[in-house]
Amino acid sequence: MRDGINIARRGVPVVALVTEDFWAQGDFVAQSLGMPDVPRVQLPHPIAGTGEAHMEEVAEQFVHQIVERLAA
Amino acid sequence: MNEILEAPDEEAALEQLHDMGCTDGLPVVIPTRARVDRLVLASGLDADIVLGEMGPGMGIATVEKVAIAAVMAGCKPDYMPVVVAAVEAASDPRFDLGPLQATTHCTAPLIIVNGPARNDCGPVASGFGALGPGHRANASVGRALRLCLINIGGGQPGVSDMALLGHPGKFTYCLAEAEEDSPFPPLHTSLGFEATDSVVTVLGCEAPHSVLYSDNADDPEDAEKLLYVLSVGLANLATNNAIFCSGTALVVLGPKHADVLARANMNREVVQRRLWELTHHPTADHDRYGQQFGSRFSGATYPAFAEPGNILVMVAGGSGLYSMVMPNWGGADHANSPVSVKVRHDLYCEVPGLAAE
Repeated sequence: MRDGINIARRGVPVVALVTEDFWAQGDFVAQSLGMPDVPRVQLPHPIAGTGEAHMEEVAEQFVHQIVERLAA
Repeated sequence: MNEILEAPDEEAALEQLHDMGCTDGLPVVIPTRARVDRLVLASGLDADIVLGEMGPGMGIATVEKVAIAAVMAGCKPDYMPVVVAAVEAASDPRFDLGPLQATTHCTAPLIIVNGPARNDCGPVASGFGALGPGHRANASVGRALRLCLINIGGGQPGVSDMALLGHPGKFTYCLAEAEEDSPFPPLHTSLGFEATDSVVTVLGCEAPHSVLYSDNADDPEDAEKLLYVLSVGLANLATNNAIFCSGTALVVLGPKHADVLARANMNREVVQRRLWELTHHPTADHDRYGQQFGSRFSGATYPAFAEPGNILVMVAGGSGLYSMVMPNWGGADHANSPVSVKVRHDLYCEVPGLAAE
């Protein structure tokens, strides 16, 4: 979330990817850094370590949402 | 009946308790007659029932005395059955409480809660930050046991509690198992209880040591690598377990790490056995670093733990890259054995005024 906000502050379109377990923390960080509406998409938890095949499945499942948020 | 202290107000009472060495150094809730009676009632037991004898002072832990400690610690009435079970477990001779309090090692009783009492007598946290601040039941239940150790067991630093430094878990050390996030049956079922039982397991152990492992489902050696790093933390040559070769230590698997092991079709027993194998060290290392404690191994390697069952494995914490290991002291007649006691939370007693809270 912090990365997403830093990128947004540079005027670059951004979507923060936040897993389910860290969603509330993402909201907290966005609020405390003064950018509560920074675009974000919720991913299942965990992602890291789950293997290439699973990560490709997740990417396939969420890529359209991510693009939609970027285009909004 | 205990001696009743008097003070003009709560502020003065607090100073009096600090001066008498009755606190852990932090402010306590003043144990007034009404507050103590309320927690005695919540225990469902008579005030003068003896729960055990607490060393090294060999004080008698009655329900009333334990309720006093629980009030001071900030416990809600709901927590009392867990506090009572923790005191019973710590007073069990197999736990070696007197020597545990007296040793120069840093050991502290960790309270592990399993079964329905996790919610009925809490909630006792098992997820994010379960061993950290912010969880009232974890904080006050563990603190209540500590105040019993101080005020009933007589543990005073540098006098009867000779821990050279101690560790922060000596203030409070309590968590529940994240049974719903675990691929394994609950810990207490591996210790002879039914899944529907509520059980408190007390283990004297060091502060938690973090174990980092970044898992990778595509790696066929994922589980073995995780078990290796866990074993390094659990019984490296700096631990009592590796040098005394006794005692029981604990692995608290984060849910993500537990899944790595489950993916490799490992159950708790397989995990324990592999950790036991991986905590064998070269005998030459014991001869070099632990000779003062007796060279007694003839083979090329020796086990840090007598058997795989001396490595307890449970699941708790948030889901990420970390687990925790707690080595232990392993001294005294029973090698400071963990003790499990059923929580009697079905002794219903209505506490006046509680419904209004």
